[in-house]
Amino acid sequence: MTGPVTGSGNRQGAIADEAAAWVARLDADGWSADDEAQLERWMAADPRRRGALLHAQACWVALDPPAPRPRATVRRRGLFMAAGGALAASVVGGFLWLAGGTTYRTEIGEIRRVPLADGSTATINSDTQLEVTLASRRREVRINSGEAWFRVAKDPARPFVVEAGQVVVQAVGTAFSVRRRDGGADIIVTEGVVQVWAAQADGYRTSLIAGQSAFFGDNAAVRISDGPPSAVDRALAWRSGAIDLSGQTVAHAVEDFNRYNRRKLVLADPRLAGEQIDGIFRTDDPEGFAKALHDSFGVPLDTSDAAAIRIGRGKNISDVEGTSPLTSLHQHGKETRP
Amino acid sequence: MAGGTAGGAIDAARRRQTAVWVAREILPHEHRVRAWLRRAGTAPEDSDELIQEAYCRLAMLEAVDHIDSPYAYFFSIVRNLLVRRLKRQRIVPLETIAEIDAYHDDRPSPEQLAAGRLAYGKALDLIARLPERCRRIVQLRKIEGWSQRQIAEHLGTTEKAVEKQVWLGVRFLRQAWSQAEQDADDLMGEHEQRGGRRR
Repeated sequence: MTGPVTGSGNRQGAIADEAAAWVARLDADGWSADDEAQLERWMAADPRRRGALLHAQACWVALDPPAPRPRATVRRRGLFMAAGGALAASVVGGFLWLAGGTTYRTEIGEIRRVPLADGSTATINSDTQLEVTLASRRREVRINSGEAWFRVAKDPARPFVVEAGQVVVQAVGTAFSVRRRDGGADIIVTEGVVQVWAAQADGYRTSLIAGQSAFFGDNAAVRISDGPPSAVDRALAWRSGAIDLSGQTVAHAVEDFNRYNRRKLVLADPRLAGEQIDGIFRTDDPEGFAKALHDSFGVPLDTSDAAAIRIGRGKNISDVEGTSPLTSLHQHGKETRP
Repeated sequence: MAGGTAGGAIDAARRRQTAVWVAREILPHEHRVRAWLRRAGTAPEDSDELIQEAYCRLAMLEAVDHIDSPYAYFFSIVRNLLVRRLKRQRIVPLETIAEIDAYHDDRPSPEQLAAGRLAYGKALDLIARLPERCRRIVQLRKIEGWSQRQIAEHLGTTEKAVEKQVWLGVRFLRQAWSQAEQDADDLMGEHEQRGGRRR
């Protein structure tokens, strides 16, 4: 087929050959803590080495006869994972900021723009808590919950670092948002470049440029999306108090509205969840959004509860059976698309 | 990163666990990703780099158990890396980036995925292609389950010499998995279909 993949002459090939040598040594008798430390040092010197080792090791273990996986192995693995978690936690401990910052908190529905002492601004979204510490060497923000968009004043001597759980984002002079989620964080870059890494994997950083958005998992898994520029503006429409929907699912929109309002939207008709919807709404107007759903999809609303708006069939399903609601729903859904 | 012996043992166990997972889920299908990169106009050296970088991403994962479809996961890492690389080379017109998704990957069928997990037959085939001395040692190590020390005693040589043959074996296998892979896959298909289709 094709020629040899790697000539040993190039750098890539040299790394792969070194990795193969490590695998041969790992396979030998008497692997010591000293060997392990040497291997760690070798890997730490070049981020590509870790991948080369994994590749070579996989090639070698692929020759092992497939073993049935007994329960005991799973147990042991559980133990390893638990120990790994404890280790990660202790490493993260090193990243905890010293106390002494300013804490900002917004209520549900509140969006606040805060000027910081260094000339940067933070626009803080609904239901968010964050701490800002402006030290002489570093400007640090820790998002405990929620989301904020930062416009960072240029100061190369003091990097601007945002921590959301295990995810760390660094910028010098740029604008970006960070939203803390369960198991990771969403990052959207509106200007310039930021670097992102997981707190326990400091050596390996990913750069995001203006117009890109990404989800970073606590486990360093990265999902980057390069949508059209308008997608970034839409995702940050909350800064001017708006929710800008373009083909998002109803379920996604409902979740969004519920971030901003105490009066919750409840989807009583699950078939509606996957339908797409377009439009610009005020974050504080879930009623308007519910009415739009009513108009586009012909679904009933129940607004009798002050704490919630139920969308879709309530308890009485008697009148719907004959009219094949599913097909009519889909037709309506299509009509709303341009 | 992590220091201390306890951390080292945990790291070693985690590395091995990820390697076993890669051997089972990714390696048998690596050639599909390479073929896709070729169709998207990527030079072989660049493909090597992208694939190595994707393996780096996998190596950084704390755990892999949560990944539902490993092949799709690996493929999307490579795809994203390619898109980013093209964006960095400003000379590439934007349409090229848009076209990338038009090159469909040769996604493995559920049967092929299952076959990939049973890739042991392929592994034996690869062992058979090793140079003689190397093959002998790899067979004793992997099929008979002897340790490198036992092999050295048996052959009347040093452990270092055995380790060197293992090194040669790993190098050979790495290349074999990424290129000769396609033939092995075809071979396997032929076995399954009793010599029916041939490309």
